[in-house]
Amino acid sequence: MQTKTNALKQGFIRCHNCGYLTKALHQLLACPRCDSHLHARRPQSLERTTALLLSSLFMYIPANIFPIMTVNQFGTGDTHTIAGGIIELIDTGMIPIGLLVFVASILVPSLKLLGIGLLLICVHFRWKINPRRWTSLYRIIAFIGRWSMLDIFMISILVDLVHFNGVQIIAGPAAIAFSAVVILTMFAAENFDPRLLWDNQPS
Amino acid sequence: MNSTSYVACPECDLLINYAQPKVGEKIHCPRCDVLLLKPSKQTIERTFALSFAGFILFFPANFLPLVSISLFGNANSDIIMSGVLALFTKTMWPVAIVVFLTSIVFPFAQISLSLLISGHLYFNQPNRYLICWMRWIHHLNEWVMLEVYMLSIIVACVKLMAISPLKFGWGLYAFVALIFITTLLISNRDNHLFWQRIEQLCKDNNHAN
Repeated sequence: MQTKTNALKQGFIRCHNCGYLTKALHQLLACPRCDSHLHARRPQSLERTTALLLSSLFMYIPANIFPIMTVNQFGTGDTHTIAGGIIELIDTGMIPIGLLVFVASILVPSLKLLGIGLLLICVHFRWKINPRRWTSLYRIIAFIGRWSMLDIFMISILVDLVHFNGVQIIAGPAAIAFSAVVILTMFAAENFDPRLLWDNQPS
Repeated sequence: MNSTSYVACPECDLLINYAQPKVGEKIHCPRCDVLLLKPSKQTIERTFALSFAGFILFFPANFLPLVSISLFGNANSDIIMSGVLALFTKTMWPVAIVVFLTSIVFPFAQISLSLLISGHLYFNQPNRYLICWMRWIHHLNEWVMLEVYMLSIIVACVKLMAISPLKFGWGLYAFVALIFITTLLISNRDNHLFWQRIEQLCKDNNHAN
């Protein structure tokens, strides 16, 4: 048997931790199974997601302008931005790796900022959309977010391996900004509630 | 209407009435297609075994060198923790903390929590912290980034190969095995079953008292 309605319309609240269904009659505050706070939708989902998205948008600017690492070779420093590192990889003929880094540190963060922005606008203005398609957009955004950490981990490995007397690699200020972008967008995706997309559609 | 035979889809909130699926069957949400239930054989035993293996592998993966490089007659080798420390001393402490959490603390927490939960369920030992542990592990999945770390090891190696020859250490093999284990662990864990068993254990415990 299939019902065609939302659980909330039938008066049920799903616990976000353990998935237990509770009848929302008596203004229950805690889940009877796992004792976590019950709320039908993530609290202040839109406000929190917007705040996190805007902060990561601001951090995205220094992340791309400032150098992410400096290579010191016998006294002369050579700074690289995120884009500069990719161009160098492609120039030296390592095209597949260059593309990989391009996807992880430029394409994914910018598409993620754009995608979360679109989801927010869509819910706020109650666009009539195909919610199934937009839910998969949300799933893709939530899945790819963590892969942007690639650049940060790579810097930690390079800084550790290359510290010789003549040659050193030093992390630059953009590394802080970039890890802030990745983490803030991950929190933003976590705070967005995809069920809001379905609530706005006429059933 | 008995609410236990119903589930709500976590992503579109559709109320679904389901018959208990057999082993090997999958139940998807009919409206948004997200995977809801996937019962498999011996879930608790497998989770217990996998997290035990992961717990053992965690130590060689973290204490044996992953990669070493030699230049001008000097050799440097890298373990995850030394990468964190190298960042920490160079005023990059926020980045160092992020790397430390996502590649050491969270993977270790995930494996040990999984070992604790499945161990308690396997030996039918009730524990009042089981519910807490289940809630924590639920939030950890996304922040365990071992496979991303692996990819950045590969990229770093390709970059450094142009400068000087590299040597791969035993830590790297343990690390790859650890990634396999954590991936299997996440795909194998059945939250629905775990919560049901925990609820049952707590009830039995209350009756016994």
